[in-house]
Amino acid sequence: MDLIERNNRFLPDYHTGPKQAYFSPYADNGGSIVAIAGEYYAIIGCDTRLSSGFSIYTREQSKLFPLSKTTILGCSGCWCDTLSLTRALVARLKMYLHEHHKQMSTPAVAQMLSTMLYYKRFFPYYISNILAGLDVDGKGCVYSYDPIGHCERGTYRAGGSAGALLQPLLDNQIGLKNMENVSKEPIPLERALAVLKDVFISAAERDIYTGDSIYINIITKDGIKEEKFVLRKD
Amino acid sequence: MFLTRSEYDRGVNTFSPEGRLFQVEYAIEAIKLGSTAIGICTPEGVVLAVEKRITSTLMEPTTIEKIVEVDKHIVLFDQVEYAIEAIKLGSTAIGICTPEGVVLAVEKRITSTLMEPTTIEKIVEVDKHIGCAVSGLMADSRTMVDRARVECQNHWFVYNEKMTVESVAQAVSNLAIQFGDSDDDGSAMSRPFGVAILFAGVDAEKGPQLFHMDPSGTFVQFDAKAIGSGSEGAQQTLQEVYHKSMTLKEALNSALTILKQVMEEKLNSTNVEMVTVTPDRYFHMLSKEEVEEVIKELA
Repeated sequence: MDLIERNNRFLPDYHTGPKQAYFSPYADNGGSIVAIAGEYYAIIGCDTRLSSGFSIYTREQSKLFPLSKTTILGCSGCWCDTLSLTRALVARLKMYLHEHHKQMSTPAVAQMLSTMLYYKRFFPYYISNILAGLDVDGKGCVYSYDPIGHCERGTYRAGGSAGALLQPLLDNQIGLKNMENVSKEPIPLERALAVLKDVFISAAERDIYTGDSIYINIITKDGIKEEKFVLRKD
Repeated sequence: MFLTRSEYDRGVNTFSPEGRLFQVEYAIEAIKLGSTAIGICTPEGVVLAVEKRITSTLMEPTTIEKIVEVDKHIVLFDQVEYAIEAIKLGSTAIGICTPEGVVLAVEKRITSTLMEPTTIEKIVEVDKHIGCAVSGLMADSRTMVDRARVECQNHWFVYNEKMTVESVAQAVSNLAIQFGDSDDDGSAMSRPFGVAILFAGVDAEKGPQLFHMDPSGTFVQFDAKAIGSGSEGAQQTLQEVYHKSMTLKEALNSALTILKQVMEEKLNSTNVEMVTVTPDRYFHMLSKEEVEEVIKELA
Protein backbone atom coordinates (compact mmCIF):
# COMPACT_ATOMS: atom_id res chain seq x y z
CA MET A 1 0.00 0.00 0.00
CA ASP A 2 1.33 3.43 -0.92
CA LEU A 3 1.32 5.69 2.09
CA ILE A 4 1.82 9.41 2.01
CA GLU A 5 3.29 11.27 4.89
CA ARG A 6 1.09 14.17 5.86
CA ASN A 7 1.28 16.10 9.12
CA ASN A 8 3.62 13.43 10.42
CA ARG A 9 0.91 10.77 9.91
CA PHE A 10 0.85 8.10 7.29
CA LEU A 11 -2.35 8.06 5.24
CA PRO A 12 -3.48 5.87 2.32
CA ASP A 13 -3.31 7.57 -1.11
CA TYR A 14 -7.01 6.94 -1.86
CA HIS A 15 -10.21 8.44 -0.50
CA THR A 16 -11.47 6.75 2.64
CA GLY A 17 -14.25 9.02 3.87
CA PRO A 18 -17.98 8.43 3.38
CA LYS A 19 -19.08 8.75 -0.22
CA GLN A 20 -22.57 9.34 -1.61
CA ALA A 21 -23.52 8.01 -5.00
CA TYR A 22 -26.16 9.83 -7.04
CA PHE A 23 -28.64 8.20 -9.40
CA SER A 24 -31.10 10.51 -11.08
CA PRO A 25 -32.92 8.63 -13.79
CA TYR A 26 -35.68 11.21 -14.21
CA ALA A 27 -35.99 14.45 -16.16
CA ASP A 28 -38.77 17.01 -16.04
CA ASN A 29 -39.51 18.09 -19.58
CA GLY A 30 -42.55 20.18 -18.65
CA GLY A 31 -45.73 20.53 -20.64
CA SER A 32 -49.41 20.75 -19.73
CA ILE A 33 -52.53 18.77 -20.59
CA VAL A 34 -56.16 19.82 -20.23
CA ALA A 35 -59.19 17.66 -20.98
CA ILE A 36 -62.93 18.39 -20.80
CA ALA A 37 -65.74 15.89 -21.38
CA GLY A 38 -69.29 16.72 -22.43
CA GLU A 39 -72.46 14.73 -23.08
CA TYR A 40 -71.40 13.34 -26.44
CA TYR A 41 -67.82 14.53 -26.87
CA ALA A 42 -64.47 14.81 -25.15
CA ILE A 43 -61.73 17.31 -25.92
CA ILE A 44 -58.13 17.13 -24.89
CA GLY A 45 -55.42 19.73 -25.45
CA CYS A 46 -51.68 19.95 -24.86
CA ASP A 47 -49.03 22.63 -25.31
CA THR A 48 -46.22 21.89 -27.75
CA ARG A 49 -43.16 23.02 -25.77
CA LEU A 50 -40.62 20.41 -24.73
CA SER A 51 -38.03 21.83 -22.38
CA SER A 52 -35.38 21.12 -19.81
CA GLY A 53 -34.76 23.83 -17.25
CA PHE A 54 -34.18 27.11 -19.08
CA SER A 55 -33.58 25.54 -22.48
CA ILE A 56 -36.15 24.49 -25.02
CA TYR A 57 -35.72 21.21 -26.91
CA THR A 58 -38.52 21.88 -29.39
CA ARG A 59 -41.55 24.12 -29.82
CA GLU A 60 -43.58 21.57 -31.82
CA GLN A 61 -43.97 18.42 -29.82
CA SER A 62 -47.48 17.05 -29.48
CA LYS A 63 -48.11 15.30 -26.18
CA LEU A 64 -51.33 13.66 -27.32
CA PHE A 65 -51.39 9.98 -28.28
CA PRO A 66 -54.46 8.64 -30.09
CA LEU A 67 -54.83 5.06 -28.85
CA SER A 68 -58.06 4.24 -30.70
CA LYS A 69 -60.88 5.97 -32.56
CA THR A 70 -62.47 6.90 -29.24
CA THR A 71 -59.51 7.22 -26.86
CA ILE A 72 -56.67 9.72 -26.58
CA LEU A 73 -53.95 9.87 -23.94
CA GLY A 74 -52.18 13.09 -22.95
CA CYS A 75 -48.79 12.78 -21.22
CA SER A 76 -46.48 15.34 -19.69
CA GLY A 77 -43.48 15.03 -17.39
CA CYS A 78 -40.46 12.91 -18.19
CA TRP A 79 -40.48 12.63 -21.98
CA CYS A 80 -38.45 9.41 -22.20
CA ASP A 81 -40.91 7.72 -19.81
CA THR A 82 -43.77 9.02 -21.97
CA LEU A 83 -42.25 7.47 -25.09
CA SER A 84 -41.76 4.15 -23.34
CA LEU A 85 -45.22 4.04 -21.75
CA THR A 86 -47.12 5.05 -24.89
CA ARG A 87 -45.32 2.43 -27.00
CA ALA A 88 -46.13 -0.24 -24.42
CA LEU A 89 -49.76 0.95 -24.44
CA VAL A 90 -50.06 0.81 -28.23
CA ALA A 91 -48.65 -2.73 -28.15
CA ARG A 92 -51.08 -3.79 -25.42
CA LEU A 93 -54.01 -2.36 -27.39
CA LYS A 94 -52.99 -4.33 -30.46
CA MET A 95 -52.64 -7.51 -28.40
CA TYR A 96 -56.12 -6.94 -26.97
CA LEU A 97 -57.56 -6.44 -30.46
CA HIS A 98 -56.07 -9.73 -31.63
CA GLU A 99 -56.98 -11.66 -28.49
CA HIS A 100 -60.52 -10.43 -28.07
CA HIS A 101 -61.48 -9.41 -31.63
CA LYS A 102 -62.68 -5.94 -30.60
CA GLN A 103 -61.37 -2.46 -29.98
CA MET A 104 -60.64 -1.68 -26.36
CA SER A 105 -63.17 0.69 -24.78
CA THR A 106 -61.99 3.87 -23.04
CA PRO A 107 -62.89 2.56 -19.53
CA ALA A 108 -60.91 -0.63 -20.28
CA VAL A 109 -57.88 1.40 -21.42
CA ALA A 110 -58.28 3.50 -18.27
CA GLN A 111 -58.15 0.46 -15.99
CA MET A 112 -55.26 -1.09 -17.91
CA LEU A 113 -53.24 2.13 -17.68
CA SER A 114 -53.81 2.14 -13.93
CA THR A 115 -52.47 -1.41 -13.56
CA MET A 116 -49.54 -0.66 -15.89
CA LEU A 117 -48.55 2.35 -13.78
CA TYR A 118 -48.95 0.47 -10.51
CA TYR A 119 -46.86 -2.37 -11.89
CA LYS A 120 -43.96 0.09 -11.68
CA ARG A 121 -44.88 1.13 -8.14
CA PHE A 122 -41.26 1.27 -6.97
CA PHE A 123 -39.68 2.78 -10.09
CA PRO A 124 -42.57 4.78 -11.49
CA TYR A 125 -43.07 6.37 -14.86
CA TYR A 126 -42.67 10.07 -14.05
CA ILE A 127 -45.65 11.17 -16.10
CA SER A 128 -48.84 13.09 -15.48
CA ASN A 129 -51.40 11.16 -17.54
CA ILE A 130 -54.84 12.30 -18.63
CA LEU A 131 -57.02 9.99 -20.71
CA ALA A 132 -59.97 11.39 -22.66
CA GLY A 133 -62.51 9.62 -24.80
CA LEU A 134 -65.99 8.22 -25.18
CA ASP A 135 -67.21 5.38 -22.98
CA VAL A 136 -69.25 2.37 -24.16
CA ASP A 137 -72.45 4.45 -24.09
CA GLY A 138 -70.87 7.20 -26.21
CA LYS A 139 -70.62 9.64 -23.29
CA GLY A 140 -67.53 11.79 -22.90
CA CYS A 141 -65.15 10.85 -20.09
CA VAL A 142 -61.86 12.04 -18.65
CA TYR A 143 -59.59 9.86 -16.50
CA SER A 144 -56.71 11.37 -14.55
CA TYR A 145 -53.80 9.57 -12.88
CA ASP A 146 -50.99 10.05 -10.44
CA PRO A 147 -47.62 8.54 -11.43
CA ILE A 148 -48.25 5.26 -9.57
CA GLY A 149 -51.67 4.45 -10.96
CA HIS A 150 -54.33 6.15 -8.87
CA CYS A 151 -57.18 6.68 -11.32
CA GLU A 152 -60.24 8.88 -11.15
CA ARG A 153 -63.00 9.44 -13.68
CA GLY A 154 -64.30 12.97 -14.03
CA THR A 155 -65.45 15.50 -16.60
CA TYR A 156 -62.54 17.94 -16.62
CA ARG A 157 -58.90 17.90 -15.54
CA ALA A 158 -55.67 19.85 -15.92
CA GLY A 159 -52.31 18.15 -15.52
CA GLY A 160 -48.60 18.69 -16.04
CA SER A 161 -46.43 21.68 -15.17
CA ALA A 162 -49.37 24.12 -15.15
CA GLY A 163 -51.81 21.60 -13.68
CA ALA A 164 -51.95 23.23 -10.25
CA LEU A 165 -52.37 26.61 -11.93
CA LEU A 166 -55.23 25.59 -14.21
CA GLN A 167 -57.30 23.14 -12.16
CA PRO A 168 -58.83 25.87 -9.93
CA LEU A 169 -59.68 27.83 -13.08
CA LEU A 170 -61.52 24.80 -14.49
CA ASP A 171 -63.21 24.20 -11.12
CA ASN A 172 -64.63 27.69 -11.43
CA GLN A 173 -65.41 27.84 -15.16
CA ILE A 174 -66.46 24.23 -15.87
CA GLY A 175 -67.20 22.73 -12.46
CA LEU A 176 -69.02 25.87 -11.24
CA LYS A 177 -67.76 25.08 -7.72
CA ASN A 178 -68.80 27.05 -4.64
CA MET A 179 -71.41 29.12 -6.42
CA GLU A 180 -75.04 29.53 -5.58
CA ASN A 181 -77.94 29.61 -8.04
CA VAL A 182 -76.05 28.12 -10.96
CA SER A 183 -77.56 25.54 -13.27
CA LYS A 184 -75.20 22.64 -13.81
CA GLU A 185 -76.10 21.80 -17.36
CA PRO A 186 -73.80 19.89 -19.69
CA ILE A 187 -71.22 22.16 -21.30
CA PRO A 188 -71.62 22.68 -25.06
CA LEU A 189 -68.59 21.86 -27.22
CA GLU A 190 -68.04 25.49 -28.31
CA ARG A 191 -67.85 26.67 -24.69
CA ALA A 192 -65.46 23.82 -23.75
CA LEU A 193 -63.17 24.73 -26.67
CA ALA A 194 -63.17 28.42 -25.69
CA VAL A 195 -62.33 27.62 -22.06
CA LEU A 196 -59.59 25.20 -23.13
CA LYS A 197 -57.90 27.88 -25.26
CA ASP A 198 -58.31 30.50 -22.53
CA VAL A 199 -56.70 28.36 -19.84
CA PHE A 200 -53.68 27.63 -22.02
CA ILE A 201 -53.29 31.34 -22.76
CA SER A 202 -53.30 31.92 -18.99
CA ALA A 203 -50.77 29.12 -18.41
CA ALA A 204 -48.41 30.49 -21.07
CA GLU A 205 -48.50 33.82 -19.26
CA ARG A 206 -47.06 32.47 -15.98
CA ASP A 207 -45.54 29.02 -16.57
CA ILE A 208 -42.26 28.91 -18.50
CA TYR A 209 -42.63 25.18 -19.17
CA THR A 210 -45.91 25.67 -21.03
CA GLY A 211 -46.08 27.63 -24.27
CA ASP A 212 -45.50 28.02 -28.02
CA SER A 213 -48.79 26.56 -29.26
CA ILE A 214 -51.48 24.04 -28.41
CA TYR A 215 -52.90 21.00 -30.15
CA ILE A 216 -56.54 20.18 -29.49
CA ASN A 217 -58.19 16.87 -30.31
CA ILE A 218 -61.97 16.67 -30.41
CA ILE A 219 -63.39 13.18 -29.97
CA THR A 220 -66.96 12.49 -31.10
CA LYS A 221 -68.73 9.42 -32.44
CA ASP A 222 -67.79 10.60 -35.93
CA GLY A 223 -64.05 10.40 -35.17
CA ILE A 224 -61.23 12.64 -34.02
CA LYS A 225 -60.77 16.21 -35.25
CA GLU A 226 -57.50 18.06 -34.75
CA GLU A 227 -56.97 21.76 -34.20
CA LYS A 228 -53.90 23.92 -33.64
CA PHE A 229 -53.80 27.23 -31.81
CA VAL A 230 -50.77 29.52 -31.45
CA LEU A 231 -49.82 30.97 -28.06
CA ARG A 232 -47.77 34.13 -27.27
CA LYS A 233 -44.39 34.28 -29.02
CA ASP A 234 -41.95 34.03 -26.11
CA MET B 1 -44.71 -45.35 -45.98
CA PHE B 2 -46.55 -46.12 -42.76
CA LEU B 3 -45.94 -49.84 -42.98
CA THR B 4 -42.64 -49.30 -41.18
CA ARG B 5 -44.50 -47.80 -38.25
CA SER B 6 -42.56 -48.75 -35.12
CA GLU B 7 -41.62 -47.42 -31.72
CA TYR B 8 -39.75 -44.64 -33.53
CA ASP B 9 -42.92 -42.74 -34.27
CA ARG B 10 -43.83 -41.75 -30.72
CA GLY B 11 -42.07 -38.41 -30.43
CA VAL B 12 -40.62 -35.66 -32.59
CA ASN B 13 -37.31 -35.98 -30.78
CA THR B 14 -36.55 -39.53 -31.94
CA PHE B 15 -35.05 -40.42 -35.32
CA SER B 16 -35.80 -43.79 -36.88
CA PRO B 17 -32.76 -45.92 -37.87
CA GLU B 18 -33.27 -44.71 -41.46
CA GLY B 19 -33.01 -41.15 -40.21
CA ARG B 20 -36.67 -40.20 -40.56
CA LEU B 21 -38.83 -38.22 -38.19
CA PHE B 22 -42.14 -40.06 -38.34
CA GLN B 23 -44.15 -37.55 -36.33
CA VAL B 24 -43.20 -34.85 -38.80
CA GLU B 25 -44.26 -37.07 -41.67
CA TYR B 26 -47.55 -37.86 -39.93
CA ALA B 27 -48.10 -34.16 -39.39
CA ILE B 28 -47.67 -33.59 -43.12
CA GLU B 29 -50.23 -36.35 -43.71
CA ALA B 30 -52.57 -34.63 -41.21
CA ILE B 31 -52.59 -31.51 -43.36
CA LYS B 32 -53.91 -33.56 -46.29
CA LEU B 33 -56.99 -34.29 -44.19
CA GLY B 34 -57.51 -30.58 -43.47
CA SER B 35 -59.59 -28.11 -45.45
CA THR B 36 -58.06 -26.57 -48.57
CA ALA B 37 -56.28 -23.26 -48.38
CA ILE B 38 -54.91 -21.26 -51.31
CA GLY B 39 -52.45 -18.40 -51.32
CA ILE B 40 -51.53 -16.30 -54.36
CA CYS B 41 -48.84 -13.65 -54.38
CA THR B 42 -49.15 -10.79 -56.85
CA PRO B 43 -47.15 -7.59 -57.25
CA GLU B 44 -50.07 -5.74 -55.62
CA GLY B 45 -50.35 -8.01 -52.64
CA VAL B 46 -51.15 -11.48 -51.43
CA VAL B 47 -54.54 -13.21 -51.52
CA LEU B 48 -55.49 -15.93 -49.07
CA ALA B 49 -58.60 -18.11 -49.47
CA VAL B 50 -59.69 -21.01 -47.31
CA GLU B 51 -62.52 -23.50 -47.42
CA LYS B 52 -64.60 -23.73 -44.25
CA ARG B 53 -66.08 -27.13 -43.49
CA ILE B 54 -69.39 -26.52 -41.84
CA THR B 55 -70.16 -29.92 -40.41
CA SER B 56 -73.42 -28.94 -38.75
CA THR B 57 -76.07 -26.34 -39.42
CA LEU B 58 -76.01 -25.56 -35.70
CA MET B 59 -72.44 -24.39 -36.04
CA GLU B 60 -71.63 -20.67 -36.21
CA PRO B 61 -69.49 -20.39 -39.38
CA THR B 62 -67.91 -17.06 -38.38
CA THR B 63 -66.19 -18.71 -35.44
CA ILE B 64 -64.19 -21.00 -37.70
CA GLU B 65 -61.20 -18.80 -38.20
CA LYS B 66 -58.81 -20.31 -40.66
CA ILE B 67 -57.11 -17.10 -41.68
CA VAL B 68 -55.66 -15.21 -38.74
CA GLU B 69 -53.05 -12.50 -38.41
CA VAL B 70 -50.62 -14.53 -36.33
CA ASP B 71 -51.50 -17.71 -34.56
CA LYS B 72 -50.22 -21.07 -33.44
CA HIS B 73 -50.91 -24.05 -35.68
CA ILE B 74 -52.61 -27.00 -34.21
CA VAL B 75 -50.91 -30.22 -35.16
CA LEU B 76 -53.10 -33.19 -34.51
CA PHE B 77 -51.22 -35.99 -32.85
CA ASP B 78 -52.69 -39.47 -32.66
CA GLN B 79 -52.96 -38.81 -28.94
CA VAL B 80 -55.46 -36.04 -29.54
CA GLU B 81 -57.67 -38.35 -31.52
CA TYR B 82 -57.51 -40.92 -28.73
CA ALA B 83 -58.44 -38.17 -26.27
CA ILE B 84 -61.44 -37.31 -28.42
CA GLU B 85 -62.42 -40.99 -28.14
CA ALA B 86 -62.06 -40.69 -24.34
CA ILE B 87 -64.85 -38.15 -24.28
CA LYS B 88 -67.23 -40.51 -25.98
CA LEU B 89 -67.02 -42.54 -22.77
CA GLY B 90 -67.99 -39.51 -20.67
CA SER B 91 -71.45 -38.61 -19.47
CA THR B 92 -73.68 -36.69 -21.85
CA ALA B 93 -73.89 -32.90 -21.67
CA ILE B 94 -76.16 -30.69 -23.76
CA GLY B 95 -76.02 -26.96 -24.42
CA ILE B 96 -78.68 -24.91 -26.20
CA CYS B 97 -78.35 -21.23 -27.03
CA THR B 98 -81.54 -19.14 -27.36
CA PRO B 99 -82.10 -15.38 -27.68
CA GLU B 100 -83.24 -15.38 -24.03
CA GLY B 101 -80.17 -17.16 -22.68
CA VAL B 102 -78.22 -20.40 -22.74
CA VAL B 103 -79.21 -23.71 -21.18
CA LEU B 104 -76.77 -26.38 -20.02
CA ALA B 105 -77.88 -29.83 -18.93
CA VAL B 106 -75.78 -32.87 -17.95
CA GLU B 107 -76.41 -36.35 -16.73
CA LYS B 108 -74.73 -37.50 -13.51
CA ARG B 109 -73.76 -41.17 -13.52
CA ILE B 110 -74.59 -42.45 -10.09
CA THR B 111 -72.68 -45.71 -10.05
CA SER B 112 -73.54 -46.63 -6.49
CA THR B 113 -76.45 -45.96 -4.19
CA LEU B 114 -73.91 -45.15 -1.49
CA MET B 115 -72.60 -42.26 -3.56
CA GLU B 116 -73.54 -38.68 -2.66
CA PRO B 117 -74.90 -37.25 -5.96
CA THR B 118 -74.43 -33.57 -5.04
CA THR B 119 -70.63 -34.00 -5.00
CA ILE B 120 -70.56 -34.72 -8.73
CA GLU B 121 -70.18 -31.27 -10.22
CA LYS B 122 -70.37 -31.32 -13.99
CA ILE B 123 -71.55 -27.76 -14.54
CA VAL B 124 -69.55 -25.07 -12.83
CA GLU B 125 -69.52 -21.30 -12.67
CA VAL B 126 -66.50 -19.68 -14.33
CA ASP B 127 -67.53 -16.10 -13.69
CA LYS B 128 -70.87 -14.48 -12.88
CA HIS B 129 -71.78 -14.42 -16.58
CA ILE B 130 -70.17 -17.66 -17.78
CA GLY B 131 -70.76 -21.28 -16.89
CA CYS B 132 -69.36 -24.47 -18.36
CA ALA B 133 -70.40 -28.09 -18.66
CA VAL B 134 -67.72 -30.74 -18.96
CA SER B 135 -67.58 -34.32 -20.14
CA GLY B 136 -64.67 -36.73 -19.94
CA LEU B 137 -61.98 -36.96 -17.28
CA MET B 138 -63.28 -34.82 -14.41
CA ALA B 139 -59.84 -34.41 -12.85
CA ASP B 140 -58.49 -32.91 -16.07
CA SER B 141 -61.45 -30.56 -16.28
CA ARG B 142 -60.53 -29.03 -12.91
CA THR B 143 -57.29 -27.70 -14.36
CA MET B 144 -59.08 -26.20 -17.33
CA VAL B 145 -61.92 -24.67 -15.30
CA ASP B 146 -59.31 -23.22 -12.96
CA ARG B 147 -57.56 -21.57 -15.91
CA ALA B 148 -60.85 -20.18 -17.19
CA ARG B 149 -61.61 -18.67 -13.77
CA VAL B 150 -58.15 -17.16 -13.40
CA GLU B 151 -58.33 -15.65 -16.88
CA CYS B 152 -61.76 -14.12 -16.16
CA GLN B 153 -60.59 -12.53 -12.92
CA ASN B 154 -57.37 -11.34 -14.52
CA HIS B 155 -59.36 -9.75 -17.34
CA TRP B 156 -61.55 -7.98 -14.82
CA PHE B 157 -58.48 -6.85 -12.84
CA VAL B 158 -56.69 -5.40 -15.85
CA TYR B 159 -59.58 -4.07 -17.94
CA ASN B 160 -62.43 -3.66 -15.43
CA GLU B 161 -64.85 -5.41 -17.76
CA LYS B 162 -66.38 -8.87 -18.21
CA MET B 163 -64.42 -11.26 -20.38
CA THR B 164 -66.25 -12.38 -23.50
CA VAL B 165 -67.22 -16.04 -23.87
CA GLU B 166 -65.06 -16.41 -26.96
CA SER B 167 -62.03 -15.03 -25.15
CA VAL B 168 -62.49 -17.49 -22.29
CA ALA B 169 -62.68 -20.34 -24.80
CA GLN B 170 -59.52 -18.99 -26.46
CA ALA B 171 -57.70 -18.82 -23.12
CA VAL B 172 -58.60 -22.39 -22.20
CA SER B 173 -57.71 -23.53 -25.71
CA ASN B 174 -54.21 -22.08 -25.23
CA LEU B 175 -53.86 -24.33 -22.19
CA ALA B 176 -55.26 -27.35 -24.03
CA ILE B 177 -52.66 -27.25 -26.82
CA GLN B 178 -49.70 -26.84 -24.49
CA PHE B 179 -49.35 -30.57 -23.94
CA GLY B 180 -46.02 -32.04 -24.99
CA ASP B 181 -44.04 -28.80 -25.08
CA SER B 182 -42.23 -28.23 -21.83
CA ASP B 183 -40.27 -25.05 -21.26
CA ASP B 184 -38.15 -23.42 -18.56
CA ASP B 185 -40.92 -23.22 -16.00
CA GLY B 186 -41.39 -26.94 -15.53
CA SER B 187 -42.71 -29.64 -17.80
CA ALA B 188 -46.11 -29.34 -19.41
CA MET B 189 -48.85 -31.97 -19.59
CA SER B 190 -47.48 -35.04 -21.32
CA ARG B 191 -50.83 -35.91 -22.92
CA PRO B 192 -53.85 -33.96 -24.16
CA PHE B 193 -56.62 -33.20 -21.68
CA GLY B 194 -59.36 -35.84 -21.93
CA VAL B 195 -62.12 -33.27 -21.67
CA ALA B 196 -64.70 -31.66 -23.91
CA ILE B 197 -66.21 -28.42 -22.63
CA LEU B 198 -69.34 -26.43 -23.40
CA PHE B 199 -68.94 -22.76 -22.49
CA ALA B 200 -72.24 -20.93 -21.98
CA GLY B 201 -72.30 -17.23 -21.31
CA VAL B 202 -73.66 -13.80 -22.03
CA ASP B 203 -71.76 -10.63 -22.85
CA ALA B 204 -72.73 -7.05 -23.53
CA GLU B 205 -71.96 -7.05 -27.24
CA LYS B 206 -73.05 -10.44 -28.52
CA GLY B 207 -75.64 -11.59 -25.96
CA PRO B 208 -76.06 -15.31 -25.17
CA GLN B 209 -73.46 -17.60 -26.72
CA LEU B 210 -72.45 -21.26 -26.63
CA PHE B 211 -68.96 -22.55 -27.45
CA HIS B 212 -67.75 -26.12 -27.74
CA MET B 213 -64.12 -27.13 -27.24
CA ASP B 214 -62.53 -30.55 -27.83
CA PRO B 215 -59.21 -31.99 -26.51
CA SER B 216 -57.23 -30.57 -29.44
CA GLY B 217 -58.14 -27.09 -28.21
CA THR B 218 -60.31 -26.38 -31.25
CA PHE B 219 -63.31 -24.29 -30.28
CA VAL B 220 -66.37 -23.42 -32.35
CA GLN B 221 -69.55 -21.53 -31.59
CA PHE B 222 -72.78 -23.55 -31.72
CA ASP B 223 -76.50 -22.88 -31.41
CA ALA B 224 -76.91 -26.29 -29.79
CA LYS B 225 -74.35 -28.97 -29.04
CA ALA B 226 -74.15 -32.32 -27.28
CA ILE B 227 -70.98 -33.97 -25.94
CA GLY B 228 -70.25 -37.26 -24.18
CA SER B 229 -71.36 -40.85 -24.70
CA GLY B 230 -74.86 -40.04 -25.94
CA SER B 231 -73.73 -37.13 -28.08
CA GLU B 232 -74.34 -38.65 -31.49
CA GLY B 233 -78.01 -39.40 -30.92
CA ALA B 234 -78.50 -36.23 -28.93
CA GLN B 235 -76.93 -34.05 -31.63
CA GLN B 236 -79.27 -35.56 -34.21
CA THR B 237 -82.33 -34.76 -32.10
CA LEU B 238 -81.03 -31.25 -31.40
CA GLN B 239 -80.77 -30.72 -35.14
CA GLU B 240 -84.46 -31.56 -35.48
CA VAL B 241 -85.87 -29.59 -32.55
CA TYR B 242 -83.70 -26.47 -32.61
CA HIS B 243 -84.98 -23.24 -34.08
CA LYS B 244 -83.61 -19.71 -33.84
CA SER B 245 -86.53 -18.25 -31.87
CA MET B 246 -86.56 -20.87 -29.13
CA THR B 247 -87.53 -19.64 -25.68
CA LEU B 248 -85.51 -20.47 -22.59
CA LYS B 249 -88.34 -22.66 -21.33
CA GLU B 250 -88.51 -24.60 -24.59
CA ALA B 251 -84.76 -25.07 -24.45
CA LEU B 252 -84.94 -26.40 -20.88
CA ASN B 253 -87.65 -28.86 -21.94
CA SER B 254 -85.80 -30.00 -25.08
CA ALA B 255 -82.51 -30.44 -23.23
CA LEU B 256 -84.14 -32.62 -20.61
CA THR B 257 -86.20 -34.59 -23.16
CA ILE B 258 -83.05 -35.41 -25.12
CA LEU B 259 -81.12 -36.34 -21.97
CA LYS B 260 -83.96 -38.63 -20.99
CA GLN B 261 -83.70 -40.40 -24.35
CA VAL B 262 -79.95 -40.97 -24.24
CA MET B 263 -79.49 -41.75 -20.55
CA GLU B 264 -79.14 -45.35 -19.47
CA GLU B 265 -80.65 -44.77 -16.05
CA LYS B 266 -84.09 -43.30 -15.49
CA LEU B 267 -83.91 -39.53 -15.36
CA ASN B 268 -84.80 -37.82 -12.06
CA SER B 269 -83.97 -34.64 -10.21
CA THR B 270 -80.85 -36.09 -8.57
CA ASN B 271 -79.11 -37.48 -11.62
CA VAL B 272 -79.27 -34.36 -13.80
CA GLU B 273 -77.76 -30.94 -13.35
CA MET B 274 -79.16 -27.89 -15.14
CA VAL B 275 -77.96 -24.33 -15.48
CA THR B 276 -79.24 -21.26 -17.27
CA VAL B 277 -77.11 -18.26 -18.18
CA THR B 278 -79.28 -15.26 -18.99
CA PRO B 279 -78.63 -11.54 -19.52
CA ASP B 280 -80.51 -10.49 -16.37
CA ARG B 281 -79.81 -13.37 -13.98
CA TYR B 282 -76.42 -14.53 -15.32
CA PHE B 283 -75.31 -17.97 -14.03
CA HIS B 284 -78.15 -19.79 -12.29
CA MET B 285 -78.11 -23.42 -11.27
CA LEU B 286 -81.58 -24.94 -11.11
CA SER B 287 -82.50 -26.20 -7.67
CA LYS B 288 -83.86 -29.69 -7.13
CA GLU B 289 -87.40 -28.27 -7.04
CA GLU B 290 -86.92 -26.31 -10.26
CA VAL B 291 -85.59 -29.41 -12.03
CA GLU B 292 -88.55 -31.43 -10.76
CA GLU B 293 -90.87 -28.81 -12.22
CA VAL B 294 -89.28 -29.19 -15.67
CA ILE B 295 -89.48 -32.99 -15.39
CA LYS B 296 -93.16 -32.75 -14.48
CA GLU B 297 -93.84 -30.79 -17.66
CA LEU B 298 -92.17 -33.48 -19.76
CA ALA B 299 -94.47 -36.22 -18.52
